Amino acid sequence: MQDGLPYILPIIFTLSIVIVLLIYWFGGKTAAKGSLKTTHGKKATYACGEDFPVEEVRVDLERFFVFAVYFLIFDVLAFILATSFYTTGLIPIAYSLIVLAAVAALLLVRGARK
Amino acid sequence: MTLQPLISALQILIFPGALFLFCLAFFYEWIDRKFAARVQNRYGPLFTGPSGILQPIADFFKLLSKEDIVPLAVDKLLFTLTPILYSALPLATLFTIPILSQTGIMTFEGDLILVMFVFTLIIITVFLAGYGSMSRFSIIGGVRAALQMLGYEIPMGLAMVGPAIAAGSLSISAIVQWQWTHWSWMVWLQPLGFIIFVICMLAELELVPFDIPEAETEIVAGWRTEFSGRKLALLRLGKDFELVLASALVASLYLGGAQPIWSVPSVIAFPITFLLKTVCVVLLFSLLRAVFARFRIDQMVSGMWKYLVPLAILQIILIQLGIGR
Repeated sequence: MQDGLPYILPIIFTLSIVIVLLIYWFGGKTAAKGSLKTTHGKKATYACGEDFPVEEVRVDLERFFVFAVYFLIFDVLAFILATSFYTTGLIPIAYSLIVLAAVAALLLVRGARK
Repeated sequence: MTLQPLISALQILIFPGALFLFCLAFFYEWIDRKFAARVQNRYGPLFTGPSGILQPIADFFKLLSKEDIVPLAVDKLLFTLTPILYSALPLATLFTIPILSQTGIMTFEGDLILVMFVFTLIIITVFLAGYGSMSRFSIIGGVRAALQMLGYEIPMGLAMVGPAIAAGSLSISAIVQWQWTHWSWMVWLQPLGFIIFVICMLAELELVPFDIPEAETEIVAGWRTEFSGRKLALLRLGKDFELVLASALVASLYLGGAQPIWSVPSVIAFPITFLLKTVCVVLLFSLLRAVFARFRIDQMVSGMWKYLVPLAILQIILIQLGIGR
């Protein structure tokens, strides 16, 4: 098999989206049609049978904020490590040690706050 | 040369391509369900086909023929778009995996980065699906999925980078070929990376120790509470594609991929080896999901950062020092 057809990436992505859309269309064709008269409960979101007003749920994200910030930094570092395999030796190791120290700092700071 | 486009089209559409991957997705779901059930002393799928092998397909068509209920409160665009993306993304990414020969259909330098990107994109889709559902259970499930991703994304990326550093290429096919020419699997060279990668794939697949985003005893069905009918069918199909993708990645990066164990590579031997290795990985996944219990979300995130991230970095340092390459 030859190495790489031209435009293979957009072709494959378009193709898989088209296949899934076909399934979706087929499902719409074959699906049972509900009656036109719908009760209130049928179109309500699930709430264990109780009557909750529709509102956005607030989730407390503050305790995970540190992880989110670190995630951003580390994602960049992971990419640096990922593309560093031409320069083996000291530089990637230095990067890795910095990352390791950062993780230790994160955990120590969080441990001290508790 | 005129046959070449026809052969390519056949490969994309039928044999190592779309139709084969559909069959593989349903087959692996059956293996996963049956094996986990047998481990837990249940029967699992039993009646549809021999030993219930057709049960996932029957489930799929049953869901397709159900009424598609859209609650009034949902964001209609997100609610329609997310199931389609959730099943199309893993299907498209599966074309990077070499199945029929040493190179996959969609092979280019850097497709490992594409796979990492798609894994992140799937979780963003999950978050949007939960967020667009406007049900409290869905939103909690979506937020949990995003938080979980903050935990396992870094060790997963580092564990995927380890074989790439050893092989000197960011292409999955090149990593597979490296393992062939050096006559050694990555799992023997980098056992730490293999363990980390399997754990992170469990988290990516939302299997039981990490099924926090869809914990049915806490938050009804998590982020997929409101979906029904054809949308739920597509979500389940996407989950199956993800299972195939995860097992194929573990097999390709760490177990030598589609390279035959014996020394004669032929057209038959490649797919059979691929099937054998991925089935082994799926059995490992379902064994792990059958014997463990669910973590709490904070246990999961801090455990990932405390243990898996330092271990993954340690693995990278070891590779840079020349051990395991």
